[in-house]
Amino acid sequence: MAKHYAMAVVVAKCIGCQACTVACKFQNNVPEGQYRTKTPVVGPKGTFPNVSMYFEKQACQMCQNAPCVEVCPTKASHYNEAGVVLVDVDKCVGCKYCLTACPYDARFINKDTGAADKCTFCWEARVSKGQVPACVSTCVGGALVFGDEKDSNSEIAKLLSKNKGEVRKEEFGTRPSIYYIFEGVK
Amino acid sequence: MKRRDFLKGALYGTGGTMIAFGGFGTLTKLDPKKAAAAEQDALSTVFSTCEMCTSRCTVALKVKNGKVVKAEGHPNDASTGGSICARGNAAPSLLYDPERIKKPMLRTGERGDGKFKEVSWEEAYSYIAEKLKNVQKQYGGEALAVTSRVNPNDIFFRSIARAMGSPNMFSHEATCPMTRTVALEATFGNPYIGADYGNAKYIITNGRNFFEGIHVPMVKGVMKSISNGGKLVVLDPRFSVTAAKGEWVPIKGATDLAFIMAMANVMISENLYDKEFIAQYSVGFDKWVEAVKDKTPAWAEQETGIPKDKIVQITRDFAKAKPNCLLEYGWRTPWTGNDYQLRRAIMIVNMMMGNWEVPGGYFRKKGAALLKPYPELQQYAKSLGGGMVQPAFPKPAKGRIDGTGIKGTPGQVIPVPDGAVGQIPESILTGKPYPIKAWMVYRFNPVISMPESERVIEAIKKLDLMVTCDVYMTDAAYYSDVVLPECTYMERYDPMIDNTGLTPKFQIRQPAVPVVYPDTKPAWQIFKELGEKMGYGQYFPFKDMEEYLTKQLAAAGLTLAEMKEKGFWVPPGMKPFFMRGKDPKAPAPTASADQKIQIFSEELEEATKQGIPEYKHYPQPENGKFRFIQGKVAVHTNAGTHNVPVLNELMPTNTLWINSVSAGKLGIKEGDSIIISAGKYEHKGIAKVTEGIRPDTVFTYHGFGRISPKMTRAYGKGINDNKLIPNELGEVGNVVSSTTFVTVRKA
Repeated sequence: MAKHYAMAVVVAKCIGCQACTVACKFQNNVPEGQYRTKTPVVGPKGTFPNVSMYFEKQACQMCQNAPCVEVCPTKASHYNEAGVVLVDVDKCVGCKYCLTACPYDARFINKDTGAADKCTFCWEARVSKGQVPACVSTCVGGALVFGDEKDSNSEIAKLLSKNKGEVRKEEFGTRPSIYYIFEGVK
Repeated sequence: MKRRDFLKGALYGTGGTMIAFGGFGTLTKLDPKKAAAAEQDALSTVFSTCEMCTSRCTVALKVKNGKVVKAEGHPNDASTGGSICARGNAAPSLLYDPERIKKPMLRTGERGDGKFKEVSWEEAYSYIAEKLKNVQKQYGGEALAVTSRVNPNDIFFRSIARAMGSPNMFSHEATCPMTRTVALEATFGNPYIGADYGNAKYIITNGRNFFEGIHVPMVKGVMKSISNGGKLVVLDPRFSVTAAKGEWVPIKGATDLAFIMAMANVMISENLYDKEFIAQYSVGFDKWVEAVKDKTPAWAEQETGIPKDKIVQITRDFAKAKPNCLLEYGWRTPWTGNDYQLRRAIMIVNMMMGNWEVPGGYFRKKGAALLKPYPELQQYAKSLGGGMVQPAFPKPAKGRIDGTGIKGTPGQVIPVPDGAVGQIPESILTGKPYPIKAWMVYRFNPVISMPESERVIEAIKKLDLMVTCDVYMTDAAYYSDVVLPECTYMERYDPMIDNTGLTPKFQIRQPAVPVVYPDTKPAWQIFKELGEKMGYGQYFPFKDMEEYLTKQLAAAGLTLAEMKEKGFWVPPGMKPFFMRGKDPKAPAPTASADQKIQIFSEELEEATKQGIPEYKHYPQPENGKFRFIQGKVAVHTNAGTHNVPVLNELMPTNTLWINSVSAGKLGIKEGDSIIISAGKYEHKGIAKVTEGIRPDTVFTYHGFGRISPKMTRAYGKGINDNKLIPNELGEVGNVVSSTTFVTVRKA
């Protein structure tokens, strides 16, 4: 059975420390001022003293029905052999169709390469070698869980079997591979 | 079409060889799998100990083609789980920052003009040596003060002062956890006390902001506790990230001791404490009973603003979790003049829960010496040795400027390695008890890290000599006569790092790459060479750090080669050790003379006449004024990282948090330019209007508003909190961070 790599963001455990943000920059040589992932704060909501706040990691949602792949005129945006959405910088002409098509605002034009850029799940440098993505590896709160969702013994499969994983903008039918678990979020 | 830009840069950045560029449009791309393999082969790993803050996490530095390309957590270290924080991750950004100081600098203009010339190390040493000798001749060796942020090279730095006959050696700690140190020493005989967060079922924290003032193993511990269903209660005037993960109780500032005493009051009146434990392991409890008998929840409600029922409920629930419960002892603890008594009371209430030497409680750090009485444990570890044997230093002719060490005065309990650093500018400016004429600072930036920045600058301007050793042209460096460029932690060895917790743990710091800027040096070398220049070579009896480390390790039965390869050492097979882990009646001696927990402290009674904590009421801000508080943020370290490119990019500036109702009354809206006034001093800033703070309090993140234009990214951005705080000395020599009131108006 083909693998399906997925990531769960256990929002209650995310402390917004941006270790993931910085780890990603160095792992992937992301240019100054640009980010493949960031974890902004949501809130505080409410009225003093009854307030709440959490952080929500943003990055490519690794859609299984990805609008970026669909609109790409040169097939630079594609699913690789493991179903991971990647950009072939060689084929990308920088037309930005994918930037517009992405409902998650996850893409940008890399200042150094001129090609569309985004999270790759650290496919080449890490995941293809059996490691987890850099953000997952460094996550201080332990909020990020990565693995093969179809492997029932994987940590992520177990986690998702016990907790409701929500996807962003489900109504778009993009079938993201990033699940947000909000259980325990105040 | 941006397609053209693609050709400007290599995909993998400097040193990357994965894509070979030919002429236009002809690029040879390696097969991705082969390319990945090649990249992996080129990567080597050097294990070391991070210094992006001072929590000393183990790290794995990834080196490719002679460059550090990435910093990661050490994959084998259970305490971090292989994680490091944003600052740790940003290490290469510091390493290759062109704004680091690259050569020794000598001031050429007036202090504060920013005019310097590059000089050779020889010139820099000669200049310092001559000036110091003049100071010594004219005023005595004691006219030199040295200050550093506690670190493994202090022994070399301080040897200069000792050799000159100065007793005036200071750490930064009076600006940070020194009151906690005083409390722990008074209560347990030494301050080497840790907390087992991961196994706690109930954690109460007064202001300690675990999730923004990040210490990775502690974050892991607290998160484990919460994830296992543990309760977290956060008393803080501000809604911090930690507060967001627990129950936020917005306590009035400077009243925490009232809450703690009321907890004790409830525990005693409702019989919620561990009487057998108190009887077996402590002395002086009767005096505490007396001290808190009128500290009722109703009284505490008046002080703290927390409803009395809430105080009672928290106390009962906390006590139900005993002994696996923690009342957090604090991290940055110079809030009020008598802060040390808050820390004392916190530890006394902890001990009432019997949370001593049990999982989920407090424990003594288990160095080899502590394992000796345990036959089954003593074989696990031997202590590290000294790296050198120094001859005796001359006895200083005078006592210290801060009175540290004088019996029968508060100086008796000021920790000797720390001292009251706030006294330095006072002695410079007033000449009392005698003048300080030369000040050397190393990894310490008094202009930003000490209260009353302008007074610190005024003091520096009066000196005969000011020397800074650091990696950036810091604000203190900017006003210095000589600036000595240290290399970063990624380019040097340091003496061994002992990070012992529930088991012994030794860590190495070793270079991952040669120095990036050839004229920077490790601090041990700088002070050794300066010492030799001054004729103090006998105090530096070692060749280099490898030799020094080898000696240190030999005493512990370890080798340098082994440490270099593994990065850290814990005794194989040893489990976390709690003295009362198996038997709640087992001996659990403290380091006090009678080995008991000092609920009443004879030493404090002698030093401050307060052997038992006494409540001191501090005023609350009147209408129109705000209590000014400060704190840490996850992406920066104190005053250390604000100019590091990647971290500056994430957070270049700060704001003043103000409650929306209070802001509304002042006509202040989100993002407005404001003036914060503390009376004597004012500071411009930007308002952050929020529901996440008490209406009587304003808050800002520390370390911004930098004064040195030579740190171009951080210069002039945001609010320098310490500009607004007066330089006041607390009862045990601590600075006082949280009793300043300010007004706020639109700019």
